[in-house]
Amino acid sequence: MTAPSGPAPAGVPAVRCRSLGVSFGAVRALHDVSLELAPGRIHALVGQNGAGKTTLAKVLGGLQVPDAGDVRIAGRDIPPGDVRAAKAAGLAMVHQHFSLPPSFTVAEALELTAARPGGRAVYRRGDLQRRWQEDVAEIGGTAALSTRIRDLPVEARQSLEIVRALATEARLLLLDEPTALLTPVAIDSLFERLRSLRDGGVTILVVLHKLREVAAVADTVSVLRDGELVLGPAEMSEVSQGRLSDAIVGPGGHADSAVGVRAAAHESTETLLELAGTSSSESAFEPGLTAVDLRVEAGEIVGIAGVEGNGQRSLVSVIAGLTPVTEGTVRIGGDEVTAAAPARRRLRGLRLVPFDRNAEGISRSAPLWLNQSALRLLGRRRGRSPLISLRQYKRQASEAMDLWRVRYDTATQPAESLSGGNVQRLILSRELADGVEVLVAAQPTRGLDFAATEFVRRSLRGLREAGAGVLLVSSDLDELFELSDRLLVMYGGRIVAEFDGPYDRRAVGDAMTGAVR
Amino acid sequence: MEQILATTLRSAAPLVLVAMAGVFAFRAGIFHLGLEGLMIAGAFATVAVGDTTGSVELGVLAAIGVCLLLSALYWWVIGPLGANVIIAGLGLTSIGLGGTAYALGAIFDVRGSLFTDVVLPRPVRNITEGAGVIVAEHSIFVWITPLIVLAAWVVLRRSRFGLRLAAVGEYPFAARSAGVNPSMVRLQAILIAGALCALGGAELSVGALRNFTENMTNGRGFIAFVAVIFGAWHPIGAAFAGLFFGFAEAIGIQSQINITERVPREFVLMIPFVLTIFAVWLGGLWRRRSLEAEAGYAELREPDF
Repeated sequence: MTAPSGPAPAGVPAVRCRSLGVSFGAVRALHDVSLELAPGRIHALVGQNGAGKTTLAKVLGGLQVPDAGDVRIAGRDIPPGDVRAAKAAGLAMVHQHFSLPPSFTVAEALELTAARPGGRAVYRRGDLQRRWQEDVAEIGGTAALSTRIRDLPVEARQSLEIVRALATEARLLLLDEPTALLTPVAIDSLFERLRSLRDGGVTILVVLHKLREVAAVADTVSVLRDGELVLGPAEMSEVSQGRLSDAIVGPGGHADSAVGVRAAAHESTETLLELAGTSSSESAFEPGLTAVDLRVEAGEIVGIAGVEGNGQRSLVSVIAGLTPVTEGTVRIGGDEVTAAAPARRRLRGLRLVPFDRNAEGISRSAPLWLNQSALRLLGRRRGRSPLISLRQYKRQASEAMDLWRVRYDTATQPAESLSGGNVQRLILSRELADGVEVLVAAQPTRGLDFAATEFVRRSLRGLREAGAGVLLVSSDLDELFELSDRLLVMYGGRIVAEFDGPYDRRAVGDAMTGAVR
Repeated sequence: MEQILATTLRSAAPLVLVAMAGVFAFRAGIFHLGLEGLMIAGAFATVAVGDTTGSVELGVLAAIGVCLLLSALYWWVIGPLGANVIIAGLGLTSIGLGGTAYALGAIFDVRGSLFTDVVLPRPVRNITEGAGVIVAEHSIFVWITPLIVLAAWVVLRRSRFGLRLAAVGEYPFAARSAGVNPSMVRLQAILIAGALCALGGAELSVGALRNFTENMTNGRGFIAFVAVIFGAWHPIGAAFAGLFFGFAEAIGIQSQINITERVPREFVLMIPFVLTIFAVWLGGLWRRRSLEAEAGYAELREPDF
């Protein structure tokens, strides 16, 4: 499984695939996709959620057997679905979903997946850790080699995925939405790294969502829409922003329907969410809250800024009722819910877009309609018939999912069969449906294409107009600046600063690094 | 007291061997409920071939062969054929229990028990008093059981093969993206488990005793499976759990001899099972927290496609 040395001979494309086709049930994930990528460049692949980007990446990596077509990497034919052959041809992949087993230590996970020659069949823990120390240190990873994967924050897991891919001395690096979970600073350093890899002769194919990121890093760009390659690979210098976004959205795509957000009726100055002197204990990789005071009034969007890992997760978790409060109170819509179960908070009008959408936002094995209907089922009044009409719930769920353009086959398929961005759409379709008093949205646009991002932002504004309160937790400062009426900055589990717009990027940045106390 | 400890070791050895089989399977993601069937098939094959050829070595080899075959069948049914793992495991147990009883009658024309002269070698003998009684009269399998546990620990927790095995069990996507074929790794784990069950069965029939009796495993395969869970599917943990269940059995046997006049026999026979339930409940309390922590990571598990 050794990588071929040196770049591929000039003229031989790093990747060449012809007429690829993949279908899942009635959904056509890829249709007649032919693509050639020149060696030694950074190629971006863009498209809306469910356009087939991840499927294409999986086919190239040998993890998905195509129904039709063939793949050559560096001039070698790759038998369909042969992970080893793809690796032997020099391909390494950074997956959108994490590919490291949660119970493994960092060193064990690297030993398993990176498969560098020279290791022994039987090892000592210490030797294994020394063997991988350098690779982790190189990328600036601070994770101890003996830490278990499940105890790592998402950013560290993401950078480990990259360490893993690079450890194999790949000639072709495939990254599937590597920026989705990263902070702006981490994204910059990732791009820096990609550029230096390219200058070292590595060919890179990276799936991206934000056009700004595409412009920042890519040499060429290709666009997938509804499983077909509609543009590219085209040189970035020859493609205008407008043409690119037209290619992504397609004809008529810009006419996205307005959002039918319905909020509960409110007096205009009601406090919908209030934390008073609230503290919680620290979690595995984040400080707990320390005496947090926070109010969200009816009809306002309050932004929470901060470098990830400064208590934002604890904050969301405390409001949701998943982490116990050690001191202080939490009130929703005027009622004290400090010790109330999550369900009671939901009934009181709390809506939640959690950080970890796959773990906390959906039940992966439950069907789509059930995931979509969860809040409606929770809100059923007592005293009504114990029987429910499945047909009615399925119909309502389908309508809501269609409104949010969730791409699915049938309403009975399990939620885990959706692509990443579609899961987020599913969650939004449930949480923004009805009776929103206060919405706590953690990274609501993460992993969404930009049409959907716009849709979410309009929905948040719609909620504000309708008199609901929104607490927006995000690592995207542009998003916060655009939407927030007030902006609070978290640092070390405290709220260290409050800003009113227009915002001074510098001042907010200083507060985020703890320079202002 | 010495008697109880000696009986503990003798009762625990087959449990621990079969528990190691369960640990290998569990780590590969398989709830192996066929352990009981494999164990009794191993016990029968040892006696049948051993008695016919007069060689205990051939008997043990035959047991391993039979169990490997049955295990390969089990893999074929749950892997390529896609049958439910639990149902197939229980089916394997039924085949073992029913098949050995049938073969006993069909081949040897015997009902109930088949006695034999072949027996596993016993390295330490003829000690009748003092602490030495604890280690005396044990078959060679009792002596090598700790070595097998140690080997299982090295293979599962300190080897590349163990990493692949654990990845397949915990998160097949990780294994696949590392270029590992989950199905093949599962086959290897199931075969290792089969061989260990054969040893456990052989110890039961020609180690501790000198006969094969219908249904002689008497639920030991399931108790071994419980030991796997109780020991948190760690080889050392499962071994200690097996030792504990062996102790419970020893108490049962000893009190059966000593107090049956005052206590109904059925109650005494219940002791090991009651202790088992109690222990599992206790273990569940200890482990609940970490299981909850695990559950939070369900998102990482991709279906094995």
